Amino acid sequence: MSLRRQLTLSLVTILMLFAVNVGTHFWGSYARNESMVAYRNSVTAAQLSTEVEQLLEDQRQQILILATLRETTEDQLDDAELQRAEDAIETINARIQELGKLSHGVTELSYEQLWESSSHLLKRWLNFYRNYNNPDFELDMNDPLPFLEASQRLKELEQSQAFIAAQRANIIDRTISLTDKITIIAFFASIFLTATLGYYLVSYTNRSLKRLKKGTERFGSGDLDYRIDDIDDTGELGDLADAFNEMSDKLRNAIYDVRKARDDADEANAAKSIFLANVSHELRTPLNAIIGYSEMLHDELADVGELNRPQFQQDLDIIIKSGRQLLTLIDDILDLSKIETGKMSLHCENFSPTAIIKQACEALAPLLHNNNNKLQIDELHELPVLYNDAAKFRQIFTNLLSNAIKFTRDGQISVSARELPDRPGWAEFAIRDTGIGMTSEQLSRVFDAFVQADSSTSANYGGTGLGLAICRQFCDLMGGTIEVESEVGMGSTFKVLIPSDPE
Amino acid sequence: MTAGKSVLLVEDNELNRDMMVRRLNRAGLQVTTAGNGQQALDIMRAEQPSVVLMDMNLPILDGWAASRRAKEDERIRHIPIIALTAHATEAYRLYALAAGCDDYATKPVDFPGLLNKINKLTNA
Repeated sequence: MSLRRQLTLSLVTILMLFAVNVGTHFWGSYARNESMVAYRNSVTAAQLSTEVEQLLEDQRQQILILATLRETTEDQLDDAELQRAEDAIETINARIQELGKLSHGVTELSYEQLWESSSHLLKRWLNFYRNYNNPDFELDMNDPLPFLEASQRLKELEQSQAFIAAQRANIIDRTISLTDKITIIAFFASIFLTATLGYYLVSYTNRSLKRLKKGTERFGSGDLDYRIDDIDDTGELGDLADAFNEMSDKLRNAIYDVRKARDDADEANAAKSIFLANVSHELRTPLNAIIGYSEMLHDELADVGELNRPQFQQDLDIIIKSGRQLLTLIDDILDLSKIETGKMSLHCENFSPTAIIKQACEALAPLLHNNNNKLQIDELHELPVLYNDAAKFRQIFTNLLSNAIKFTRDGQISVSARELPDRPGWAEFAIRDTGIGMTSEQLSRVFDAFVQADSSTSANYGGTGLGLAICRQFCDLMGGTIEVESEVGMGSTFKVLIPSDPE
Repeated sequence: MTAGKSVLLVEDNELNRDMMVRRLNRAGLQVTTAGNGQQALDIMRAEQPSVVLMDMNLPILDGWAASRRAKEDERIRHIPIIALTAHATEAYRLYALAAGCDDYATKPVDFPGLLNKINKLTNA
């Protein structure tokens, strides 16, 4: 449960306890009030009963006296006296009716019995007063029964009123006691709950914050594999921990990327150093011949004796050849460097690849004879006109053909070319030789710069080890491909595919 | 100084080999040649040359391996070997010395310097 929900729930609980307290108070007041009214009524009724009892007693005494006087004297009741007696009886009747208003429930029955007997008694008394002056009227006023009955009923009513008063007093006491208890319980419950909530909140946030702090410290010290996973909260603090974990993930990835970029840069740097070392090595090889032969000829010129002119001529040829080789090497290095820095651009034009292949074969014919090779041009179908870089196409073909001638002795080199049947506009040419071939290990690196099949290869066969690297790069630039198949001692086949348009 | 001493030149490049043979001969040294490391070891054992000029990039058995084997062989370990290579970096110099070469010279060859080295090693 989230921290916010826990807090809300706890606050609602406390508010509810508070509401219970207030409700209990109001209910207690209401209940007390109700009982109070009933109690007051009972007390008033008891007082009234006493009063009625007294009135009845007085009236009875008066009637007994009047009855005795009527028998012994001839005095008549005048109208005023009759009226006063009737008023007195009416007053009693009114009082009893007041009692009736105060009675209900339990006292109802007692009152009805009282009403019945008192009505009978009062009617009898009224009758006595009205017929007092009538000599024929006979009434025994000494009979005590009706009065005693009414008196008895009144006492019963009084008792039941007293009983109700006691009962109500009891209820009031109980209500007060109950509301006190509820108030105290709710009060302590609120205090307990608030204290528990406070303690829980403080310790919980403290614990979680400590873990968060520990986590951020670990992240800060570079331990990005650390995870804040011991926060038992799916809410805000858990979210915060997740956010920290995510941040650490992203940091780790970023650091990984930076390290990788640095490693890549280091690797590229190392490759550059190796490249430079290789360039130095390759430049030194023809320079060794140039400087060596020049110094030697210089020294020999100083010697006395006949100059061996043919030998001198031959040595100069070697110097020239090595110089040219050096120039080629420098051109190749510049080409590769241009390609690598992305500055090598294509100069596209429409050209006939067939014509270029034929020209290149003618140009390399003298080399063929040096190694006693035969050139066979087979299946030289008319190729489509290409819109591509003609100079680079010529360089690729010349490179591959001179390689084939260089690494083959007393063998055969065949050139074939065709338009790809399933890709119209694409030209394919293949150069197959019966030369020294390559192992699969050599094959895998054959298009890398400065790689020749064997370290002594360049010494024996010449070349810079850059030709095939350049061919591959040119093929890529022109939108084509180059591939090779070879077997040691059996020769190699290079196959080049060039599209009619580099795009 | 160098006259009469015999030199074994181990070099697989014909042009370089011919040139070096002529220059060494002209300096009064007797020169025998070998085209690879194995051949060089055989000639060292058979002819006991005064000094060996060893190219490092050789077919069959390269110069480093040949130098190491020569220094492991009782009969020829005393023959000084001068590494001769177009690898000009410090790492390759140490590599050659580690393989047992007694000295190191880079191509293009500083010929008077090379003769000095030969002298130093053969007169020691």
